[in-house]
Amino acid sequence: MRALRSELLKFRRWSVLAGAGVMIAASAGISYLTFHQITSGATGRELTELIAAFPTTLGLLAVIGQARSLIIVVTLIMVTANVAAEWSQGTLRNLLIREPRRLRLLMGKMAALLLFVTVSGLLTLLVSAALVIGAARSQGISTAAWTSAEAARASLGFAFNEVLCLIGISILGMLIAVLTRSTGAAVGVALAYVVVPEGLVAMVWLDASKWLPVRAFNYLPGSIMPAGIGPTPPQGYGAALILALVWMAGFAAVSAVVFRRHDVVA
Amino acid sequence: MVLDPMTSSGTPAITTTGLSKRFGHRNAVDGLTITIPSGAIAGFVGPNGAGKTTTIRMLLGLVRPSAGGATILGRPLSDPKSYLPRVGALVDAPALYPSLSGRTNLEVLAQLSGLPRSRVADVLESVELTDRAKDPAGRYSHGMKQRLGLAMALLPDPELLIVDEPASGLDPLGIIQLRDLLRRLRDQGKTIFMSSHLLGELERVADWLVVLNQGRSLFCGPASGLLVEGANLEATFLGMLRGDR
Repeated sequence: MRALRSELLKFRRWSVLAGAGVMIAASAGISYLTFHQITSGATGRELTELIAAFPTTLGLLAVIGQARSLIIVVTLIMVTANVAAEWSQGTLRNLLIREPRRLRLLMGKMAALLLFVTVSGLLTLLVSAALVIGAARSQGISTAAWTSAEAARASLGFAFNEVLCLIGISILGMLIAVLTRSTGAAVGVALAYVVVPEGLVAMVWLDASKWLPVRAFNYLPGSIMPAGIGPTPPQGYGAALILALVWMAGFAAVSAVVFRRHDVVA
Repeated sequence: MVLDPMTSSGTPAITTTGLSKRFGHRNAVDGLTITIPSGAIAGFVGPNGAGKTTTIRMLLGLVRPSAGGATILGRPLSDPKSYLPRVGALVDAPALYPSLSGRTNLEVLAQLSGLPRSRVADVLESVELTDRAKDPAGRYSHGMKQRLGLAMALLPDPELLIVDEPASGLDPLGIIQLRDLLRRLRDQGKTIFMSSHLLGELERVADWLVVLNQGRSLFCGPASGLLVEGANLEATFLGMLRGDR
């Protein structure tokens, strides 16, 4: 608890708040643009599924879900940079002198970060949803389907799975930071990982890509989305959930072993 | 002041036995065996790369020794959680969160140690940073950052203070204040283990000296045992490195 409370004090930094602000503003912007595209009569193959889903109970989720890739990337950068900065700034040595139980320190730090990521992720979804609902009402578009009991259940499921996805992404960010121990390298590797290895595997061997971690995390909220918007887990939700949990446990275990044993020379 | 490594408590503040650290093929610290008595200001002297910082990092549990062991405040090096709550440290340049205020930087560590907030105000006052406590640490001058680093080290009201180049970046007045602070702490019964390149300064304050070169101890004992017949530390140190002693 001490490590958690100590970590929460650090969220007063403008860089941390700016990360959350960017995520909220950019996601709301993307959601609004998607809404605008649909309602302005734009056409195109990539919009077909969205236009079909728009008036249904999953219409709102389909619109605000368009910003999910951005949320994943911003979360990954925020967590990776935050953890790796302890090495780059040399502040890790101060922390370890005051809390030599390394796993306790890492758990406290990650608990605070996960709390922050969860709150900012949910806030992002809420702001985006409020903006789209407000825009729809101002244009006289019915939002009854989006605010129905069925839509509320779907939204809760989506929010739960989105949080799970962001937790997985955060644990991946922690692993990259612990392995690289430098802010620049950690952020670079994190972004490169999402784009290059996962992207390459998806291009050359689509069937294998369904087992990769970022995809597995992304399948969880994607499973709530209308078919065709997804990404729907090809292995089924249960298998995707187990896979995501296994990746999280694996990343956490490797991070813990490395963090516990590594010499702090920064 | 006559010092004996075995003090009234019967326990030296630091004892190392064959302490070694190897990075790849390089021995940073090589079979270091030293004793620092409780209640002393012990100077830790050596050229760049002699292994001072690595030794300090090992004592603080940041770096694992390759061989050997140590006892700090009567507790084994292998169990840092048993002695670190009683140790304050400043390693290398002070590491700060630049966008957080000086006060919040200290609160982060106080919270982590379970110390009361009043302790933050106390240490800010002792390093004369109270007036600038609300300013972001990134805007501090080099000397102020150094003082904030010292405040971090003093936060747990430590029995043992391990400081690496504490006078680095301080102006002459700051150095005088640091000297007074160290003497005050010693008078309170605390032990100070301090590496420094400012040999003249060490000569003024140190009761005990450890001279290190290429990871090995060339001398460990009372300062009076090294500085005989009016010789100054600088000349003695250079002579030791040349192998005259």
